[in-house]
Amino acid sequence: MIDNYIYVIVALLPLSALILVSQTNPYNALVIRAILGAIAALVYSILGGADVALTEALVGTMLAVTLYVIAVRSSLVMRLGILSKNSDSTEDYFTELIANLRKVTQKYYLRLELVEYPDRELLKQALLKREVHGICERSELSNMDNNPIYQTTIRVHRLFEILQTEFTFPDTEISYITIPSSEDKHK
Amino acid sequence: MIDALSYGLIIVGIIFWFWGTLPLLGNRSVLFKLHSLSVSDTLGSMAIVFGLLLKIPNEWSLLILAIITLAIWNTVLGYVLAYCSSSNKKQSINNQ
Amino acid sequence: MDSILIAMILALLIPIYEAWQDDNIWQKMLAFASIATKTSIMMLVISVLRDDWSIGVVAVIILSVGEAGLMLLAHLIKRLNEV
Repeated sequence: MIDNYIYVIVALLPLSALILVSQTNPYNALVIRAILGAIAALVYSILGGADVALTEALVGTMLAVTLYVIAVRSSLVMRLGILSKNSDSTEDYFTELIANLRKVTQKYYLRLELVEYPDRELLKQALLKREVHGICERSELSNMDNNPIYQTTIRVHRLFEILQTEFTFPDTEISYITIPSSEDKHK
Repeated sequence: MIDALSYGLIIVGIIFWFWGTLPLLGNRSVLFKLHSLSVSDTLGSMAIVFGLLLKIPNEWSLLILAIITLAIWNTVLGYVLAYCSSSNKKQSINNQ
Repeated sequence: MDSILIAMILALLIPIYEAWQDDNIWQKMLAFASIATKTSIMMLVISVLRDDWSIGVVAVIILSVGEAGLMLLAHLIKRLNEV
């Protein structure tokens, strides 16, 4: 009764699932998930479950993938607080620094988002209030005639580990800061 | 006669599928692949559905709906994919 | 008819392989577009083969929904790199 082609089509489902599991980039994995959903809808419908196939196509392929793309995009982000542009002679150095940082974060599929603050005090406040994951500013004790030294302070430990091993750029220090949780601050 | 014609149309459609899908494997640009893929997928699928229509005419409403869907949405999809992928490329060149 | 379906499955394997081996996201999207069309046409063929109306209706709906989802996904992926 069961035709031969059904076995072949059903075998496509674990094949695409294996491809899905082997992906490392989250966005590529989501596209493969959509492919898996299309194949699953085919398998369900040839086995007679037309309603299940329709649900898989509508929810599994369209809704879930769309929502997950938005969720991954908004959560895989590193927010770095910087001072807004003032009359600094070190613009070139700074853009190069940011470009290098972006290269490192892209290796981990993170997006780098720059948040500008008008002065140092607000920058510190933003880090303490957990508005940003890290701040990058010129350290105060840099001597003015030589290359400027930039100080990057990170409050997320995993990000600090990644930057410490991967980020090698001259004249930039990376340090880690522990911020007490908000319950402690209220006491 | 009609049976042979329907089988012929289905086989032509499958040949179209292979002809358009095989360029996917090469190392060509996205737009080249998109061109051959959209042409072959739309025309091949329409040929297959026409073959089915000749074979079993009592499901004609469904099959004609499928043909119209294919003709409209596959074309629009080709445009949308080309627009999205090419504007993205331009932007990344500007960023670099 | 069985051999026609086997040939269709072979044609379906090509974009699956392409989606596996290529790392560019747009190439994967192309493979997905191909797979979405091919699976729904296969569903339509099987529904006509079995003379089953419900599978045929679902196949046509999946054909149009799959393309709509693809356009949505393409626009989202295009805007990924914008801040």
